[in-house]
Amino acid sequence: MIDRSLLAEVVQFTYSKGIDLVEIYVEEKQASNIFCEDDQIEKVYSGRERGAGIRVVKDYNTAYVYTNDLSRNGLIKAASIARNAFHGEPFTLPQPINLVNQEAVFHINYQRLPEKVAFEEKIQYVLQANQAARLVSRLIRQVTVAAADVHKKIQIANSIGEYIEDDRSRVRLLVNAVSESKGIIQTGYESAGGVCGWELLEQVDFDDMAVKAAEFSVRMLSAKPAPAGRMPVVMSSEAGGTMVHEACGHGLEADLVQKGLSVYRNKLGVQVAAPCVSVIDDATMGNKYGSFSFDDEGTPGQRTVLIEDGILKNYLYDRLTAQKDGRVSTGNGRRESYQHKPVVRMSNTLISPGRDNPEEIIAATNQGLLVKKMGGGQVNTTNGDFVFDVQEGYLIQDGKIKHPVRGATLSGNGPLALDNIDKVGHDLGFSIGVCGKDGQGVPVADAQPTIRIKELTVGGTALAPGN
Amino acid sequence: MEQILRTVGEKTLNEAVHRGVEAEAFLMQAKELSIEIVEGRVETLKQAEETGLGIRVIKDGRTGFAFTSDLSDKAVKNAVQDAISISVFTTQDEYQILPEKAVYPDIQLFDQDTAAMSLEEKIEIARSVERCAKSVDMRISIIERSGYDDLEYCNLIMNSKGLYAYETGNFSGIYIFLVAEDDNDAQNGFSAMSVRKVKDLSAALVGKEAAINAIRALNARTIRSGRMPVILDPYVATRFSGIIASMVNAEAVQKGKSMFAGKIGEQVASPWCTIIDDATLEEGIASGLFDSEGVPAQKKIVIENGILYTYLHNTYTAQKDRVVSTGNAQRGSFRGLSSVGSTNFIIAPGRDNKDSLIDGIDRGFYVTEVMGMHTANPISGDFSVGAAGIMIENGILTYPVRGVTIAGNMAEFLQNIDAAASNFRFYGGKGSPSIRIKELSIAGE
Repeated sequence: MIDRSLLAEVVQFTYSKGIDLVEIYVEEKQASNIFCEDDQIEKVYSGRERGAGIRVVKDYNTAYVYTNDLSRNGLIKAASIARNAFHGEPFTLPQPINLVNQEAVFHINYQRLPEKVAFEEKIQYVLQANQAARLVSRLIRQVTVAAADVHKKIQIANSIGEYIEDDRSRVRLLVNAVSESKGIIQTGYESAGGVCGWELLEQVDFDDMAVKAAEFSVRMLSAKPAPAGRMPVVMSSEAGGTMVHEACGHGLEADLVQKGLSVYRNKLGVQVAAPCVSVIDDATMGNKYGSFSFDDEGTPGQRTVLIEDGILKNYLYDRLTAQKDGRVSTGNGRRESYQHKPVVRMSNTLISPGRDNPEEIIAATNQGLLVKKMGGGQVNTTNGDFVFDVQEGYLIQDGKIKHPVRGATLSGNGPLALDNIDKVGHDLGFSIGVCGKDGQGVPVADAQPTIRIKELTVGGTALAPGN
Repeated sequence: MEQILRTVGEKTLNEAVHRGVEAEAFLMQAKELSIEIVEGRVETLKQAEETGLGIRVIKDGRTGFAFTSDLSDKAVKNAVQDAISISVFTTQDEYQILPEKAVYPDIQLFDQDTAAMSLEEKIEIARSVERCAKSVDMRISIIERSGYDDLEYCNLIMNSKGLYAYETGNFSGIYIFLVAEDDNDAQNGFSAMSVRKVKDLSAALVGKEAAINAIRALNARTIRSGRMPVILDPYVATRFSGIIASMVNAEAVQKGKSMFAGKIGEQVASPWCTIIDDATLEEGIASGLFDSEGVPAQKKIVIENGILYTYLHNTYTAQKDRVVSTGNAQRGSFRGLSSVGSTNFIIAPGRDNKDSLIDGIDRGFYVTEVMGMHTANPISGDFSVGAAGIMIENGILTYPVRGVTIAGNMAEFLQNIDAAASNFRFYGGKGSPSIRIKELSIAGE
């Protein structure tokens, strides 16, 4: 870590007349990865990285400079480049910057930090999961198991005089199984992760994940082509909240709203979803994958109600976008690493649980698609159009779950889909992911109860009944 | 720069050899500039320098890897030590070997003009993309962002078998994301271009392309589900070629993760389809003198007239298949081990002009945008992606379409290619003309 007085000196040095904000973000990272495929530990690696990013903001324009040279000379050189971006004249502040520690309301206690757990032990977990998956069926052709952990130490200091230190550790586990029968190949995938150390294994059964992924790939071998057409879609809570994240969350990020790139622009106080729908972003949900004490600008992580009973209540803000709207940051300024400037991002995003019984939701659906697991997706925030891959889907007929279907995608429109939700279950399921925006990936968690959307376009290769 | 990196490389190898292991040092130094323009002003200016070392050691067929961004003697020594202690845990594998020393092709990858150009001139290029786009049509209402990027890099690879490879290069690019709006609708448009020589950047072309993409999508509607001929825009075709690139990846093939396993010499695509992977193109963004293990750059015909000729190999997969590496070892940065990847991956153009592809189609779909392409499965070949484009009726382009998905299997897709146009264009490291697929399943209403 860098001495506080040096950080204050760099911030001071970077400051020039008319500048709105100078900030330095320092990161020291230790990461390791274990990768098992073909029944063997194929890749293991570890690495250390240190770097600092200096940000200068003037009239909402940003100059960002980063370096891995953390010596005094290296930092001053980077600071000069950042300052010169605005042709700033050196300017002495009336008094030296006095860095004051900021307090977070939410803290994470780490039990078994990555560096405290021996490689042998981590490898043992990976090998066990690999075994568990392979034992599921003789149709399993390939199993990939990976475990990755990262431990970051962060310092942020800025010209407002704020200073934070943060210690962040994350562990992520992945299993991918491939099975084959009569020339048909299908895959199954499970992942889990948290802002925690290896105590994650007390919450998550790695072997069980492996078995699930393997069983799923085998089950999909007998799946029929997905129907194509418009139909009701029930999304099980197990599906996690990918849909709310993509189809709604991104459109509520203030940078997109301010640029006119969101369908939710000028809609505060307006009914934007069915009254049974509430959407929340919450960085303080225990050790979920999108949790944090401070965001990457030093603002404490918090809970923000975005949509309440269908009414749009708030957008997600970082420091800059908040200032533009005359608001305060909601603690959603995040960055992938010291190589990136912070942008508005979600943390843990969810649709709040409702009152319906999940089983009754299915029973009340005459014909449609049940989605148990979502794959990736993409959304056009300007018009709200989205498309998602369905990893695990089943046909619903006469209120009963029928055969699995493969190759389905869901396409629709965010606001329309949220308005079309007519059932909200009392359960809640999470999924984790790395969300990409502006070329940066940050860890997030998404959650939702079992919900029913009256109508969505299902894209498959088989034509829907009656079509 | 070469001397500085070389000194660190030598220290690394000396330390490793001293400890009785074979080793490879990969050193990288990169300088990045990115300028983002919104409404004529520089919204973000990013300048950065990065250096790093990735060290691979092999001991008794076991591989270990560590990286560090700190190139001090102590950090380098620690990284070597980490890599060696990690290697104990990996499985012994006789195919893990380091490549031998080699002679490299003479390709000019450094553009003096890019290096000499001032920051102000580069900002002006970025601004002109925005201006060009706006001048196309009044309905271009929002410029989300447009910009200019360039990257200058030095790569050095040396290994304990005496291999020594050094290259320096740069490239530059422009891009724009915008929105067209009329009374009833708003649609996005995007275009980008990356080049080796900064004078080849065309702000006019990129600005115009993005604007036209957005405008022609306004007031799109969905269509009835059905099977019909489909024409893919070059950009969309390159998105599909990304999946093909992962299917010819030898690593995927050897692990049973590609439907092309065991298909060398077979007709895997229609006779209209020829695909080349060429790392030696002077104008190619993905070109280099050597791959990320120091194997010389090569040009390979992967599929010719539908017949699969080769997979893409690095040293490891080549050793396993008893063939010679095709020079396709790839790593994103010094932070990871090499795997296998495509270089400049090209669907060869045909002779027809783009319009003649549309002739004679009674009812078809011209695809200009796909969403969720990353969800396509290279293992099973199944894909189902969101699409937008223009309807083709009686041989002419009619109304814009959105809210549909196109679905199928890559095997069928490749066998059904029945024409390639002459309008070839690169998007990053992937290049393609417009191609026509005889029939695909479209899901709409």
